Amino acid sequence: MITTIAMLTLRQLLGKRRTIVLSLFAVLPVGLALLFAFRGDRDPAGWTATRLLAQIVVGTLLPLAALVFGTAALGSEIEDGTAVYLLSKPIPRWRILAAKLLVAWAVTSAFVVVSAVVAALVALQGAPESGRILAGFSVAIAAGAFVYSCIFVLLSVVTSRAFITGLIYVFVWEAVVTRLFTGTRVFSVRQYTLGVADLAAGVNEKVFKSQLDGTAAVILMAVVALVAAVLAVRRLQSFETGEAG
Amino acid sequence: MTADGGSVAPDPPERPAIEVRNVSRWYGNVVAVNGITFSVGAGITGLLGPNGAGKSTLLHMLSGFLRPSSGELRVLGQPAWHNPEIYRFVGLVPERESVYSFLTGLQFVRLAAQLHRLPDPDAAAARAIAEVDLVDAQDRATGGYSKGMKQRMKVAAAIVHDPQILLLDEPFNGADPRQRLHMMDTLRRMAGEGRTIVFSSHILEEVERLAENVLVVVAGRLAASGDFREIRRLMTDRPHTFTVRSSDNRCLAAALVADPAVFGVELDGERLRVRSSDFAAVTLALPRVARRSGVTLFELLPTDESLESVFSYLVNR
Repeated sequence: MITTIAMLTLRQLLGKRRTIVLSLFAVLPVGLALLFAFRGDRDPAGWTATRLLAQIVVGTLLPLAALVFGTAALGSEIEDGTAVYLLSKPIPRWRILAAKLLVAWAVTSAFVVVSAVVAALVALQGAPESGRILAGFSVAIAAGAFVYSCIFVLLSVVTSRAFITGLIYVFVWEAVVTRLFTGTRVFSVRQYTLGVADLAAGVNEKVFKSQLDGTAAVILMAVVALVAAVLAVRRLQSFETGEAG
Repeated sequence: MTADGGSVAPDPPERPAIEVRNVSRWYGNVVAVNGITFSVGAGITGLLGPNGAGKSTLLHMLSGFLRPSSGELRVLGQPAWHNPEIYRFVGLVPERESVYSFLTGLQFVRLAAQLHRLPDPDAAAARAIAEVDLVDAQDRATGGYSKGMKQRMKVAAAIVHDPQILLLDEPFNGADPRQRLHMMDTLRRMAGEGRTIVFSSHILEEVERLAENVLVVVAGRLAASGDFREIRRLMTDRPHTFTVRSSDNRCLAAALVADPAVFGVELDGERLRVRSSDFAAVTLALPRVARRSGVTLFELLPTDESLESVFSYLVNR
C-alpha cells in the first residue's frame, strides 16, 4: 500500500519542470567547488566544511529542496483536489502520510547528498579529514532532510500557503533571527543539521565547529520530527474539504 | 457488476443505507446546512438545490470529508466522519475536474483498485472502464481528456471496488448529451442491482430524468423529500393546473365551475385551463363532470408537474 502511494508521489514530485529547476540548484555547489579548486586555496578542508557544505548546501540547498518536495508531496494534491482519490480509500491516514513523507525525504536527500558529495570531492582535493567531512555531512544532510520534510509536510496539511510559510521559516527565521538571537537556535533545523554534522564528522575544531551541541541536536531533531509527523497525521485524520455550496 | 474482493456491507439490508439525523454544519457564523433529517435506501436519489444551497456541504458530510457541527450521520450504520473504513462500501465521485493528469485512464482506475487492495486490480479496472465505455481511451493520459471523459473515468475509479453506495457531486458537469445519457444508463443499471446512488445537481432536468427520489435543499434546509410528483401533490397551498382539450370546452367550463374541487377555469383558445388545490379530487372530478355534461375529453395534462415548477415554488416560498 505504502509502495503504491510512494510510486504515485514519486511520479508527481519528479515532474519535468520541478526536476530541472532543482537540478540547476544542485549543480550550483559543484560550480562553486570548481571555482575554488581552480583558485588553489590553502585550506580546502576548512572552506569545504564551513563555507560550501555548512553555508551553501545546509544553509540554502537543503531547506530549499526540502521545501519544494515537502510541501508538494501532499500539498499539491490537496491544492488541486486529487487528494480525495487517496483519502476516499480504506487506508489509515498515517500510512498515506508515511508514504508521502518517505518519498519527500528520499528525493530531497538524494538531490542534496549527491550535490554535496560531488561538490565536496571537487573542493577537498584529497585534503586531510576529507572522508570524515564527507561522511559526517552526508549523514547530517539526510537527517536534516527528514526533519525538514516532516515540518514541510505538516505545513502543507495545515495551510494552503505552506510554501510561503516555509520560505519565511528558512530565509527569515533560520537565516536572520537565529543569527541575531542565539537562544532561538534550538528552533532551527539548520543548526540541528550542523550539530549532527559536527558530531558525525568529529573533525578538528579549526576545520568545522557547530554552534549547537551534537547530542542536543540529535535529541531536538528526534523530538521535532516526531511532533511534526504526529501533528501531520492528526491533521490529516481530521482533514476537511469542500466549501459551502 | 462484481469486483474482485468486493466487500459485504456490515448492516442488514433493511436498514437505510444513509441516515441523517438533525445534521447541521456551519462555517463561523454562516449556516450551510441547518438541522436536516432524512434517510436514503437503495435506488437513485437526487440532491437538488440552487448553487450555495448546501447540497455540496451535505454530500461532503455524507462522504466523510466534513465533520457535522451537530447531529448524527451514518452510512451503513457507521459514522461517516473520521472513519476511512466506510470507503470499502462507498464510492465517491468528486465535483472537481482534477485527476492525476500524468496517469493514463487505465493507470488511474488501476490505482484506485490497488488502493482498495483488490486481489486482481487489472481485471477490476478493465471491468470498471468497460462499464463507463472508455476502453478506447484508457491508454491515453487523462490530462488530455475532455471534461466529460474525466467525469466518466472518475466514475470508473469510484465503482472499481463495486461499492454498495455511490455518491456523485454534480456528475454530469461537462458531459455532452450522449455521455450524459450513457452515464444515466450506467447509474440506472447500478441502482437496479440494489445499490444506493446519491447525486447532487442544480440541473432540474437531470434530476427529473434520473432520480426516483428527490431531496430538495434550499438555504441549508431540506425543503422537501420523496418522489417529486408526490411532493407536488402535498403542496396543497399552491394550485395545480391542468390543460384540458374536449369536444366542448365552454360547456365543460360551465359545469366545472360548480364542482367544489375546482376553483378556477379559464378558456385559452382551443384549450381549457383548470385550477384546483386538490390534485386527486380534480382528476376524479374531471371525467365525471365531462360525462355528466355530455362532453368528450380528448386530452388532460397536468401543466405544472415538472420538477422545475416544484423547485421554483420551493425556492420562492
